[in-house]
Amino acid sequence: MTGSSAAANARRIGVYVCHCGGNISDYVDVDRVIAAVEHEPGVVVARQAMFACSDATQGDIERDIRELELDGLVVASCSPKLHVTTFRGVARRAGLNPYEYSQVNIREQASWIHTADAEGTTEKAIALVRGGIAKTGLTEPLEPIVVETTQKALVVGGGIAGMRAAIGLADLGLGVFLVERAAALGGHVRGIGAMYPNGRDGGRLIDELAASIKARPSISVFTGAEVIEKSGSFGKFSVGLRVGGPGSETLTVEVGSIVVTTGFETYEPEVGEYGYGIDGVVTLPEFKAMLDASAGPLRHAGRPVHDVAYVYCVGSRETPTKPDGNAYCSRYCCAATAFASIQLGEADPGVRQYHLHRDVRTFGKYELLYERSRDLGSIYLKFPDAEPPEVALEPDGRLLVTVRDLLTGGERVAIPADLVVLVTAMVPRSNTELTGLLKLPIGRDGFYNEIHPKLRPVETTVDGVYIAGACQGPRNSSESVASALAAVTQSAVILKKGYAELDPLVATVDAVACDGCGKCLDACPYGAIELSAGVATISETACKGCGGCVPLCPTDAIDLRGYTNDQITALIDGLVGEAVA
Amino acid sequence: MTATTIPGAVVPAATPATRVDGGLLADIRRFGAADVNACFSCGVCTATCPLVTNDGTFPRRMIRYAQLGLRDKLLSSRELWTCYACGQCSEQCPQQAEPGEFMAATRRWAVASYDRTSLARTLATRPLAGSVIAVLLAVILAAFMYTAHGPMGGSSLELFGFIPSDLIHNLGIAVMAIVLVTGGAGLAAMVLALRRSVVVPPARPGRAVLAAAWRAIAVEALGQQRYRGECETETRPWYRQRWFVHAATMWGFLGLLGATLLDYGLELLGIKATGTPVPIWYPVRLLGTVAGLALLYGSTLLILRRARAEERSLRHSTVGDWMFLVLLWLAGATGFVLELALYLPGAPAWGYAVFLVHVAVALELVLLVPFSKFAHAIYRPVALFFLALATSSAEPAGEGSR
Repeated sequence: MTGSSAAANARRIGVYVCHCGGNISDYVDVDRVIAAVEHEPGVVVARQAMFACSDATQGDIERDIRELELDGLVVASCSPKLHVTTFRGVARRAGLNPYEYSQVNIREQASWIHTADAEGTTEKAIALVRGGIAKTGLTEPLEPIVVETTQKALVVGGGIAGMRAAIGLADLGLGVFLVERAAALGGHVRGIGAMYPNGRDGGRLIDELAASIKARPSISVFTGAEVIEKSGSFGKFSVGLRVGGPGSETLTVEVGSIVVTTGFETYEPEVGEYGYGIDGVVTLPEFKAMLDASAGPLRHAGRPVHDVAYVYCVGSRETPTKPDGNAYCSRYCCAATAFASIQLGEADPGVRQYHLHRDVRTFGKYELLYERSRDLGSIYLKFPDAEPPEVALEPDGRLLVTVRDLLTGGERVAIPADLVVLVTAMVPRSNTELTGLLKLPIGRDGFYNEIHPKLRPVETTVDGVYIAGACQGPRNSSESVASALAAVTQSAVILKKGYAELDPLVATVDAVACDGCGKCLDACPYGAIELSAGVATISETACKGCGGCVPLCPTDAIDLRGYTNDQITALIDGLVGEAVA
Repeated sequence: MTATTIPGAVVPAATPATRVDGGLLADIRRFGAADVNACFSCGVCTATCPLVTNDGTFPRRMIRYAQLGLRDKLLSSRELWTCYACGQCSEQCPQQAEPGEFMAATRRWAVASYDRTSLARTLATRPLAGSVIAVLLAVILAAFMYTAHGPMGGSSLELFGFIPSDLIHNLGIAVMAIVLVTGGAGLAAMVLALRRSVVVPPARPGRAVLAAAWRAIAVEALGQQRYRGECETETRPWYRQRWFVHAATMWGFLGLLGATLLDYGLELLGIKATGTPVPIWYPVRLLGTVAGLALLYGSTLLILRRARAEERSLRHSTVGDWMFLVLLWLAGATGFVLELALYLPGAPAWGYAVFLVHVAVALELVLLVPFSKFAHAIYRPVALFFLALATSSAEPAGEGSR
């Protein structure tokens, strides 16, 4: 038997099997695939191509669609992750509804993984293509979901990234709600004095941003405020805020997009970690505060500071000695430490500074800071990954840092110091409540995850919710601001038109078949399903089309557009069925 | 399982740590090496150096010792004295950290560190005070001799009637004694530091020591084998090459010193009184003349090259560099002027003055051996000896590879 139905027989489907250079055809006998499927029900034309994605082949497919009046398209090539949009475009240009096209993956799912079995991989490819044809026989034309969008945005987190994002959004003509948990805007930057690379004062930067915000009436600032509720979806969120701590005022704002800029926390060393807890062992932020507060030579505990030792990567790149520790580089700290040492070296030319590092990552133009700090006499020592420095208290009250210097032939040296500065990492802020409310995806490092680090760097898997700044991972303030402005742009992309188009491949409920059991509600990771009047309803805009709810429905009341139950059944039948010819 | 030792590999944590001396780099910079902070330890200098062997790598490692304040490591490093200052490392340094100049400055610092008095330090680090001391010393020596002077005049120069030869001889012996004591103390300090890093080969140790001494003193110090073979940076005739100019100066000085001592020996043996006119072919006089010519040739060229900063290694000149060259040149030049005066008709009065200067400068030159740039003549052969010893114990088959 075959998976075809009477409807499928009436279809006019074109099938294109790709060689992918040799990626497919070296293992899959493409001629046999064509021969096996060209007489499947509904197939009007079956061709092969060296590269189906090439401009020439795309043109050929478009011509076939027009000339042969195709109403279905199957491309058997690589993963849909690569070329779904390519071939949807082919269909659209030729006047075919893009959702009448199916992608069949015979590269990742056949040729690449069965390289030792040419016969088997060819048979598998044939089965996959048959399944695809059977599924395509049941496609229906679909149109994108059009959503009207609210011309307002919510920014969560009022540090330098959130403040800059709010200004950017306001300047695009959008209304902005800026929510900050602390009593004042400014985050970490507000407390930093001179900042690298050029010594601008962090507090003054924040003052300037705050003045800009004040000058824009379209920005409403809520400090001492938290997000406590979120409903709605992309383009039309309804967000509950609590302002002024528990028991105080709550309000709801309507926004089209949400920009999350909740920042980071500073790694807090454990007591005893590199001598932390001993007087004179301080973290980089503590040291920076001492520097910013002092003019001229530094003093600590009533004594002049002559020797400073910096221990880099405290809380960063820990895995060589702590397998479950933080594996990442905190990125901002090498330059920040070099800059702090310049600050001290210029205030006190006689001071001696030792930088104990794994590597120096003063990337880009920050390399100049590294050079300048060396010019001022800073000594850099590289220690072995597996053998970090040790900090001890000397009988005279001074500190002694022992380290193996790889550049001196592995010599172990003991450095007497008045201050030991632990260059502490950026760690993810624990924001369990917000993370849960917004369904923000968290990466292995504990920071929020973007969809694609290169091409979609501020978008999350939740449409309309963007992330920027150090909540995404360690970065310095200029990088945070750059990503904040990227999030502004992405918000503008969906909000400025007044409407947005969404993929129509979402789940739908047959209200008659639904008995209101509610099992699907628990299955939905996006909170897209609600029960109203004893029937489940799925928000088209919140649904991501994952299909997780479909198999759980005891009455088969849920169908996923583009992957309907009938289509999947047909696909399976095609996959396991015998050849027709 | 075989254990392989990789240079710079991690050794167990139990190894004791050396306490850093935070002021070391600043101290060495008083002796020159102004640009050494720029060094980020890339190692191009070491890769460039024609003299680096597996048993001695420099300048990078020396710079690192200085940066970290590992004073004892520097003082016990024979590599410091292996360098002949060709300047190729400074030419190639991507950071313009002047590694060659650093090596020279650190040798000055080492000489001052081995010296228990602070004379070497003053001469090297305080240009004005150093110059005053040098001039004053010559003046004092001259004045001291002048107090015992006899008559000037006569039909020919009666030099030893003017200044008694006994006085000069005794002064010379006193100067030598001072040099022996102070230089000996410095050498002892150096040997104590250096021997920590050396293992005498267990098989036939005596032979190994003798071989190393031969190699250091005869082949390297006097024969200048590696200086000759490796450290010439330009194409030029042999008599203008760095090693030859240096050898002419060194051999010239040694020849003159030998002639002076022989002359004194002849007097002690009663063969010839000092100051007795002898013909030009008389062996001791012939030796003195040839050696003097060599010294003048060498030191003149050295002075001219330094004045013109002709070579990479001559870009940074200290008062100590000049003082040493000028004293050498003066000793040689006054000797020849004296020779001329001796054979001129009559007895020109200036002849006596030149004689006084000649003796004073020669005595000062010797007196300052442990304190001036001259100190390299005693420290370098010792370092080369330890290097030869280390090389022979590491590679019994022969010379070390690069």
